[in-house]
Amino acid sequence: MSTRSLLVTVALVRDTFREAFARKIFWAFFGCSTALILFFIFIMKIDVVQGAIATISLFGNTSRGEDVQKLVRQVHAAIAAFLFTAGMFLAVFASAGLIPAVFEPGRIELLLSKPVERYHILLGRYIGNLLVIAANVFYLVFAVWVIFGIKTGVWTAGFLWSSVLILFIFAVLLTVVVLVGVLWESAVVATMVTFGLMLMSPILAQQSILERLLSSEWSRNLVRVMYYALPKVFDVGRIVRGLVLGDPVGNWMPIWSSALFGAAILSTGLYVFSRRNY
Amino acid sequence: MSFAIETEGLIKIFRNRWTGKEVRAVDGITLSVEKGTTFGLLGPNGAGKTTFVKLLLSCAHATQGRATIFGRDAREAEARRPIGYLPENHRFPTYMTGASMLDFYAALSGMDGASRRKRIPELLATVGLADWGNTRLGKYSKGMLQRVGLAQALMHSPTLLILDEPTDGVDPIGRRQIRDILHGLEQQGVTIFVNSHLLGEVELFCRDVAIIHRGKVALQGKVKDLTAGAGYRLAVDYVPERLEQELRARATAVAQRNGSLEFLFGTREEANQAVDLLRAQYCEIEALTRTNSTLEDVFVRTVDEH
Repeated sequence: MSTRSLLVTVALVRDTFREAFARKIFWAFFGCSTALILFFIFIMKIDVVQGAIATISLFGNTSRGEDVQKLVRQVHAAIAAFLFTAGMFLAVFASAGLIPAVFEPGRIELLLSKPVERYHILLGRYIGNLLVIAANVFYLVFAVWVIFGIKTGVWTAGFLWSSVLILFIFAVLLTVVVLVGVLWESAVVATMVTFGLMLMSPILAQQSILERLLSSEWSRNLVRVMYYALPKVFDVGRIVRGLVLGDPVGNWMPIWSSALFGAAILSTGLYVFSRRNY
Repeated sequence: MSFAIETEGLIKIFRNRWTGKEVRAVDGITLSVEKGTTFGLLGPNGAGKTTFVKLLLSCAHATQGRATIFGRDAREAEARRPIGYLPENHRFPTYMTGASMLDFYAALSGMDGASRRKRIPELLATVGLADWGNTRLGKYSKGMLQRVGLAQALMHSPTLLILDEPTDGVDPIGRRQIRDILHGLEQQGVTIFVNSHLLGEVELFCRDVAIIHRGKVALQGKVKDLTAGAGYRLAVDYVPERLEQELRARATAVAQRNGSLEFLFGTREEANQAVDLLRAQYCEIEALTRTNSTLEDVFVRTVDEH
């Protein structure tokens, strides 16, 4: 990447952060994450006895005889699940406005008048958006990991890896926001389509059951195609949970097929953007 | 002659995706803007001025024809490097301050950080907003936004300025200030292309002008010739090609109106010589009239007749 190209990318990323700050998106995420971190630091007290058994105190109530490893992994899994579900919905909801904002009349013309290729403008915004969410996810996951590590002496890498996968699925979903944003220039439509894909994922994940319930061959094929073609949010969620609980990744298909979907959708978005008149 | 802007048979057709209905927003515009000139593009609403500018900037893609900026294909990103652009109805992000907005767009133009930091206060002072650099754009008035927009267009010291309604919403003092800035840039050899409906402004500021109507160039020439106090307009129905070339070279402006070809001459002698040449070739003269117009007269007449 040339210096000039890097300069442009940094400017676009900084602009996305500035807009995220101004829309309070970043601070809302940061505030929630910080509240959770403070909760683990000050409210939840864990005493480890002989390196294996712990007592946990929460608002004065104490539970005894917990397995430390199990306890830490369960808390990690709960946080990862929260980030993967509610956090993901919030992230998509917040991001849906950041991408279409670029296409506003009076703003897009000025961006396009600069000596920058169109794909660069859109990719810069995409990366910026991704980094806004990445900063918050890594902040929360890393801080919780450190707090639990210090309090219990348990340092599991699975929880850290889960944050990478959470961000990966967000990156895939963000490509849908980009494509819908380019096509319809609407944050509402972008949110609806992305949420639709997220909600369809657990249904399609039951494809073997669905296939048994469906009577015609074409409908079974349709379910199969949809399952393999669309991002596997639910399946990747299961992998995240497994990682946190210490299970190895048994099936990589949900990850690589989701990556392929993201790459295809992002390429389509970039192509449509390069052909559009503003 | 080298040109800052050159277009050849530029056409832009917008097609409705559902009905298939076509609109020829730009209909075969061939135009040349000399380097270092001040050029005004005029036309009634919906004439195709803004679409033409968008084609130059590659905001829209031409259906046919070509456009070059300093000899470079306008579709290339690099062709836009020497351009400073102020769009009409711009919408600068309101979360930015004046200074951060200038910094952002200058970075996109390829300016390094040190140059940007040096240039921002200079330009804010030039447009009379020295004390407003750290204020959010959401608090700026329309006139202030227009001035900071001009500063944005000037950040990377462009050699071609494309301004869409630059004095829109600016008070008379601000307008004079903008005019003075543009005059200063003109002296430095910057080519200035103004798209405006404020005829008085264009007449005061521009050297060359083109009037666009229904996507076509209806009239093009030097402002001083088009508005000359004592000019002569000679209308003919048909002129042999060779003679037309000769008359074009002698005339100060040429226009096509209702099937007639109109030549504008600065002096009576020039008009008489043209008549002699035409009559020698048995060409029918439709009309010979004395002109005494303002740019507004020229504009209204041109639009009415097309």
